[in-house]
Amino acid sequence: MAFKYKLLKAIDVAGLQVFDPVVRLCYGEEPKLQLRRIGLFIVIPLLTLAAFVALWAYVGPRHKTKAGEVPSPAVVLQAGQDTWRFDAWEDTKAADYKRAGQDREQALAAVNARIEELEPQAEQAAAQLAEVEDAYRTQLMEQVKPLYDEYRQMRVDFRDESQRREAELEDRAAHLSGSVAEREAFLDALREHRQWEEGEKAELAAFKDQIGEIEDAKAPELEAARAQSNDLGQELQYLRKRRDQLTSDNLSLKLADAEQRLEQREQAFLQASSGEEALSLANQILAEEAAMERIETSTYAKPWTLPDQIMRSILCVFTGFVLASIIAIPIGILCGLNRVFMAAMTPLISLFKPVSPIVWLPIVFIIVGGFIPEPSDSALLDFFNAIPVLGAYDVNPAFLSSAITVALCSLWPTLVNTALGVAAIDKDHINVARVLRLGFWSRLVKIVVPSALPLIFAGLRISLGVGWMVLIAAELLSSSEGIGKFVWDMFNNGSSQTFAQMFVVVFVVGLIGLLLDRIMIVFQRLVSFDGAPTAL
Amino acid sequence: MAFLELDHVSLGFGPPNDRTEVLKDVNLQVQENEFVAIIGFSGSGKSTLVSLLAGLQQPEKGCVRMHGQPVTEPGPERGIMFQNYSLLPWLSVHGNIELAVKQVFPRYSRAERKAHVERYIEMVNLTPAADKKPSELSGGMRQRVSLARTLAMQPEVILLDEPLSALDALTRANLQDEIVRIWGEDRRTVVMITNDVDEALLMADRVVPLTMGPEATLADAFTIDLPRPRDRTLSNSDPDFKHLRNRITQYLIGLNEEAKALRVDERKEMPDVRPVDFYATRRTSFWERLRNNDTDAA
Ligand SMILES: Nc1ncnc2c1ncn2[C@@H]1O[C@H](COP(=O)(O)OP(=O)(O)OP(=O)(O)O)[C@@H](O)[C@H]1O
Ligand SMILES: [Mg+2]
Repeated sequence: MAFKYKLLKAIDVAGLQVFDPVVRLCYGEEPKLQLRRIGLFIVIPLLTLAAFVALWAYVGPRHKTKAGEVPSPAVVLQAGQDTWRFDAWEDTKAADYKRAGQDREQALAAVNARIEELEPQAEQAAAQLAEVEDAYRTQLMEQVKPLYDEYRQMRVDFRDESQRREAELEDRAAHLSGSVAEREAFLDALREHRQWEEGEKAELAAFKDQIGEIEDAKAPELEAARAQSNDLGQELQYLRKRRDQLTSDNLSLKLADAEQRLEQREQAFLQASSGEEALSLANQILAEEAAMERIETSTYAKPWTLPDQIMRSILCVFTGFVLASIIAIPIGILCGLNRVFMAAMTPLISLFKPVSPIVWLPIVFIIVGGFIPEPSDSALLDFFNAIPVLGAYDVNPAFLSSAITVALCSLWPTLVNTALGVAAIDKDHINVARVLRLGFWSRLVKIVVPSALPLIFAGLRISLGVGWMVLIAAELLSSSEGIGKFVWDMFNNGSSQTFAQMFVVVFVVGLIGLLLDRIMIVFQRLVSFDGAPTAL
Repeated sequence: MAFLELDHVSLGFGPPNDRTEVLKDVNLQVQENEFVAIIGFSGSGKSTLVSLLAGLQQPEKGCVRMHGQPVTEPGPERGIMFQNYSLLPWLSVHGNIELAVKQVFPRYSRAERKAHVERYIEMVNLTPAADKKPSELSGGMRQRVSLARTLAMQPEVILLDEPLSALDALTRANLQDEIVRIWGEDRRTVVMITNDVDEALLMADRVVPLTMGPEATLADAFTIDLPRPRDRTLSNSDPDFKHLRNRITQYLIGLNEEAKALRVDERKEMPDVRPVDFYATRRTSFWERLRNNDTDAA
């Protein structure tokens, strides 16, 4: 029983009240009520989601664009899987690069075995694809040829009839008398002819479109064959690259090579007879040693993949968020404590609060650039790159500009809420501080800040949400590796594959935003002391 | 020279066009180690009086003095227990008391402080609830936390604003004894607000009534010279006790009636005229006609 209430409490604190009725139902508490609540809080939202997906699946593919039709849910799911598979493959390659000794040999054997297994399959798939393509083409020809013949015949008929009519009109024009009625009748006849001509042309065009549609129609078996052949081709290519990383490009092999060369030079140096030769060989030894050092620290050049970019975006938003909090909370506290300071700050706050990230970013970019004249040799960048997790994601000026833009746009809710929370402190609590004669700092730390904490956290939560929205735009503008850059690259690529990946990003961004909000809700609940529920 | 005194103190609230003069010309002398109970009606200004003594508010006229020095700011030597408890909602029971203890006894080691806090939590019987937040406590429990916090500060002067009003009879009796014990053993000075005459009689050396507001002032004190320790079981039989209780109660009833009378007097006298009946021809109801007949006959 105690466990049940602990569980319910944990669910409540984590902001997962949706599952409250499920737990209660499992314990058999008021099943009817719980079922009704499950219906309301779980079934209805799921139904809405299902309806949305169905609508999307129906409407999306019906809209044609330059980058192919709007992808259906299934295509987007596939694109998401592909994106993550690409990341996993790159990670494997990076690991292969570092493999040495027996480990490397085992991996190589496995890769080779798999290649041998796949190669015939791939050949077979390619052959089958050619076959299916041929069959499809002949079948299409059979279907389309009579239509084309008909179309050609229609055009010929149209041309003949048109020529005939025009000759007739010419003839009539040549024999026009002076009668007004006759001339009017001729005009009408010409007008009628033109209308007929246009109608016929439209009909021809429609017919042609119909043929085009038949030609463009997707043939499921052809698509399937193509997809299978593609998949196998991709995997084979990946395996061959792995083989390279395990053999010719492999770190341990390169090192062994270099070591061998070094040893040769050293041997030669020991036996060198003339001073000239000795000097030359000594120089070579130094060069080899330097080369070895370079090889030792080298890593596989992994391209940016979406999961890495997501991580970088999250780190960027947190950097900006921390920066915003460091600025906003103290200023907010000062505003709340001191009316004069509040009056002084109000115009600045009101002026800068509505400025859009699109305006901040270029300015910040230039200013940050001023602090970092040489990215390869900057104390500021070195400082950030020395931070454990952050350093792995290559902090550069674009990253800092994005983070600062996030901070500039997201500090306002925290600032305003903090000021409000501090200003609205209960007079009774101040009286307690006065009776105890708390000094300024104890009063701040023990009374003012704790009492303002729920509002401060409400502000932080809004700030993080704003920051996350701003970040994507900032990354897109500053080309800072991250989700925004990914979207921009996909947009510029303009294929149907990349179009689907942009949809993947929609869900990724949404889910991460949701997660960040949930985390903040948990914090907000932990600091709230009045037991009032936090708005969702 | 009195230990703690109010010297012709007046205080009002509000802007000049909408003022309530709460206290007017209040005089009070509290001797060292005296136990004074102030008794009065709701809204008459008792809490205002206590916050003047604590130094949380400054009088507009007159002076509040302790040891002959004007009181200009609050301090822990005049520990006040607020009527609305004023507990810090983000701290547990233990935390609330600890905050005060830490400030008043900065030299205590961690263990000493813990023991001190726990002693006072034990005194008000809240040990099982020591780790709860105020929002998880009942009204009476909160009142006891507030009392424990004030007593744990071990102030020279203990100012209690209706400290036991929300408690059941038994807890109340225990805590009354406890307060009297602390007052007696540690030689403190206590000013306690109460609206319970029996409580005042059982605990105080002197009971001072506050007259009905606005412009409330302290009336003549009743000196309670009953021997201590006072036995509450005797309160219904002891003639001295009964006599004092009657006098104070009568006095308070008198105050109340006086206040009512004052208010009646304040009302503008209306000329005693009956409205002219413009609708003489209108059909009057049975009861109306009856009433008219009545007054006509009179
Ligand atoms: N800050 C304030 N501003 C305006 N009026 C106030 C203020 N504080 C108290 N008053 C007024 O002063 C009068 C006395 O208030 P006070 O709280 O001292 O009453 P009280 O005797 O303690 O009543 P109770 O027994 O109900 O606690 C009331 O009429 C109240 O309206
Ligand atoms: Mg009061």
